[in-house]
Amino acid sequence: MNEDNQRKIFHYLKKKKIENFVGVPDSTLKYFIDECLKNNNIIITTREEEAIGIATGMTLSKSNSLVFMQNAGFANSISTITSLVELYEIPLILLIGWRGYLSDDAPEHLKIGKIQPDLLKIIGLKSQILTEQNWKVKCDWALKEIKQKKPCALIIRRMFHD
Amino acid sequence: MIRKEAVEIIGNYVGKNPIVSANGFMSRDLFEMNDKKSNFYMIGSMGLASSIGLGIALKNPKKQVFVFDGDGNILMNLGSLVTIGSLKPKNLIHVVFDNNSHESTGGQPTNSSQINLEKIAKVVNYNIFVVQSKTKLMSVLKNIKKLQGPIFLLVKISTSKERSKRVSWDPKTIRDRVMKSL
Repeated sequence: MNEDNQRKIFHYLKKKKIENFVGVPDSTLKYFIDECLKNNNIIITTREEEAIGIATGMTLSKSNSLVFMQNAGFANSISTITSLVELYEIPLILLIGWRGYLSDDAPEHLKIGKIQPDLLKIIGLKSQILTEQNWKVKCDWALKEIKQKKPCALIIRRMFHD
Repeated sequence: MIRKEAVEIIGNYVGKNPIVSANGFMSRDLFEMNDKKSNFYMIGSMGLASSIGLGIALKNPKKQVFVFDGDGNILMNLGSLVTIGSLKPKNLIHVVFDNNSHESTGGQPTNSSQINLEKIAKVVNYNIFVVQSKTKLMSVLKNIKKLQGPIFLLVKISTSKERSKRVSWDPKTIRDRVMKSL
């Protein structure tokens, strides 16, 4: 996703009362994360599960939160998502960068990248893919999910190599 | 001192303030000794009690927020100490009940007896206290109110055959009770 739209997503979600942005950096999401940094509205954690824990504490305090991560970190977090976020129905938005979407991405990303949609489906976490055209509609979908106390995921595909 | 006794002493001191308790026997002891609406019983997600407590502490600066952690739990999420020490929440009291073992899974050893958890906490900006007896625990608790957090209170406990009942609240009820109390 292009730089402009990534930066817009931050401001759009912030305007819609997402107050906390917690996570582990990912190059696919780097402009979104840069916008969090610029606006001094970010906590960078040591692991993705830690970010989910902090965001859970904030959400319990009635302060809406988003957790950003790469899909490698999503795979790390599956037990935390099932035994904390889904079990207690903590209304969080996970923003996940999808490495391994392209079949010629770096080799360490290929296996998880390939099963990424299945992983989400198997654990029953509702998700939508953000594109340049639809991001506003998909963000609204996520905001509606958390309003109904349901956790959800927004996915940004890695469409380039560096 | 066994965990249940230490939980009772600290629980009385905490009053209505929020407590996030680690999974396993930790949450069961708290549930049996001091059940209240502002307790978040973390029944899964091992290691994350201090992270959840940090999130609550940052959003509730006027409340003292307690984490009831175990040695096995904190060793699974040592990075949490770094994040807490960087953000320095003044209102966070991180209690670690240390029995050098994974008591909930049958008493297998942790490595907490081989290292100094309190030294790790000290170098990442915590105010640290180590107690072994009930008298010392009570005197430290009296002083804690005047001190700035984050505070790391390492309570050395012995293992025990005593078993508390399971937390009977379902997870969504735990969530709703805590949300209402904050």
